[in-house]
Amino acid sequence: MVSKKLTIVNAQGFHMRPASTFATAMGKYSSNVTLKVNGNTVNAKSLMNIIAACIKCGNEVEVICEGPDEVQALDEAVGMIESGFGE
Amino acid sequence: MLKGIGASDGIGIGRVMLVVEQSLEYVPKEIADTDAELARYQSAVEAFCAETVEQAEAIRKSTGDKEAEILEGHIAIIKDPFMNGEIENLIKAHQCAEKAVDQICQMFIDMFNATGDELTMQRATDVKDIRDGLLSILLGVQNVKISDAPAGTVLVTGELTPSMTAGINKDNIVGIITETGSQTSHSAILARALEIPAVLSVAGATTCLSSDEQVIVDGNKGEVITAPTPEQIEEYASKREAFLRERRELENFRGRETASADGIKYELFCNIGTPKDATKAMAADGEGVGLFRTEFLFMDRNSLPTEDEQFEAYKQASIIMKGKPVIIRTLDIGGDKDIPYLGLAKEENPFMGFRAIRYCLKNREMFKSQIKAILRASAFGDIRIMFPLITAVEELRMGKELVEEAKADLKASDIAYDENIKVGVMTETAASGVIADLLAEEADFFSIGTNDLTGYTMAADRGNGDVSYLYSPLQPSVLRMIRRIIKCGREKGIDVGMCGEAAASPMMIPLLISFGLTEFSVSAPSVLKVRKNISKWTKEEADAIAEKVMAMTTEAEITAYLETIV
Repeated sequence: MVSKKLTIVNAQGFHMRPASTFATAMGKYSSNVTLKVNGNTVNAKSLMNIIAACIKCGNEVEVICEGPDEVQALDEAVGMIESGFGE
Repeated sequence: MLKGIGASDGIGIGRVMLVVEQSLEYVPKEIADTDAELARYQSAVEAFCAETVEQAEAIRKSTGDKEAEILEGHIAIIKDPFMNGEIENLIKAHQCAEKAVDQICQMFIDMFNATGDELTMQRATDVKDIRDGLLSILLGVQNVKISDAPAGTVLVTGELTPSMTAGINKDNIVGIITETGSQTSHSAILARALEIPAVLSVAGATTCLSSDEQVIVDGNKGEVITAPTPEQIEEYASKREAFLRERRELENFRGRETASADGIKYELFCNIGTPKDATKAMAADGEGVGLFRTEFLFMDRNSLPTEDEQFEAYKQASIIMKGKPVIIRTLDIGGDKDIPYLGLAKEENPFMGFRAIRYCLKNREMFKSQIKAILRASAFGDIRIMFPLITAVEELRMGKELVEEAKADLKASDIAYDENIKVGVMTETAASGVIADLLAEEADFFSIGTNDLTGYTMAADRGNGDVSYLYSPLQPSVLRMIRRIIKCGREKGIDVGMCGEAAASPMMIPLLISFGLTEFSVSAPSVLKVRKNISKWTKEEADAIAEKVMAMTTEAEITAYLETIV
């Protein structure tokens, strides 16, 4: 298992477009990907669960990947969040 | 007349097309052949996606990419592996597709609504739209085709859904009326993007109004005029023309520098009350924030906000503004703004009493936590601190000492901040105007708060009908005060802005140009108008106007003259 703690930097937080891009990207990996935020654990491959978690700019999230391609999954996840989803 | 929320500016005159939602009721059934039911569900999803792609393309052509993305989001939602899995599990457990779709969508709608977060709650509307779309396909219900609406149609519906919007031809739809929705709902955003006047939240609109009746939609005021008289139609038709002309003219000023006719550059900022307002400031082409009121952080709650909470809000505003200047005004309570948990004593004369900087300097811990939060946020952009209601140099000094103390604390804890953060004065009292020369020696900038400055200079409450005639920033005394503050600031080489309503007044603008103001801070909807007004004058013309005005002796004379020049 690998994980990393990050802060959400894009102004609108994990809204529709970033959540959708993120969930689609994570869906490619066979590892389990979860987000820990505000005390909840969220399935990162599900757009709907990410939206329901109501993740805002400034929130701290922990990305946790577990499985055969966990390193690559974490890498891509961290890159996307740190770049603020290119916004 | 029906009242609602004006969510998209403009005026529309036309005939009602009622779009009433079809019944999507179904009778839940036990399914024996779950494989066949799964196939029926999957083909409904495919049909839904195909329809949505088509609608997204139509809306991309008519409105733009951003609006098309809302619909494309529906495809992303319906393809969500978790949601799909849950729906399919229910079908495998012998539920009919209708019930499975309904139940799982409802689960997410409830979940999103439970967050209480506006952005997340708006996604509930998307899920509802998807559920209705899927149920319509599963039940074979035919919907009214909005795309067939004739020219001059006013669309009246319960809630404007993104899929409905996709059918809108903006040449034919002249107005929108809905029963639900707010300024920030999808309906409002889409209506504004389409530039169709809209009045939302009109209670009972679909029952009060009937198909084909003539109505006027006034999106500026949030009013719907039913059974209009010929005079009203004529009146509103000319209002509509004037509105469209002005909109075209103002759009030319988007993305341009703010400068006078002879090329002197000015900063044009926005006044905001929450970090979310910063989004409006950006959308309105504001070049920064000239006044960020921080009271919202302290109101509607039972205890003080923490330093972290404040830090997040200030940082968020700075990030939304993409690092452009953000002037944060420290807490301005007292006067007419009460915060119950602070236990402020009732005063005989609150406007002359224990408020704003006076209260903060006596409650150092609270004040310091706000200053620390602002300093921490200053690591993320060009943030400046402004103290309200300064009347004496000592107040500025004490405030600045506290800033230095807070910096030392942060440094000791190795927390980043902007060492050179600017600390300025909101010049809004008669005293600060009179000692502007002294304050300018020690302040990094001034910002003139004309609302209070007018009240304090004239000793007149604008809310009191008996004395409100005295309340005008065009009073010779107030103009002299403004001129003096600008002059004193500029002589010491500091920026002087204005964040009161007067900064957006077309009559005031030439005077401010002449006096040497460097920054105008106005409400978001005024940005383009002010930029246009500033561009009308050369310094020389402005000086000639100011010279005449400052030689006049009464407010009536000044107003009458300025009315002739704007």
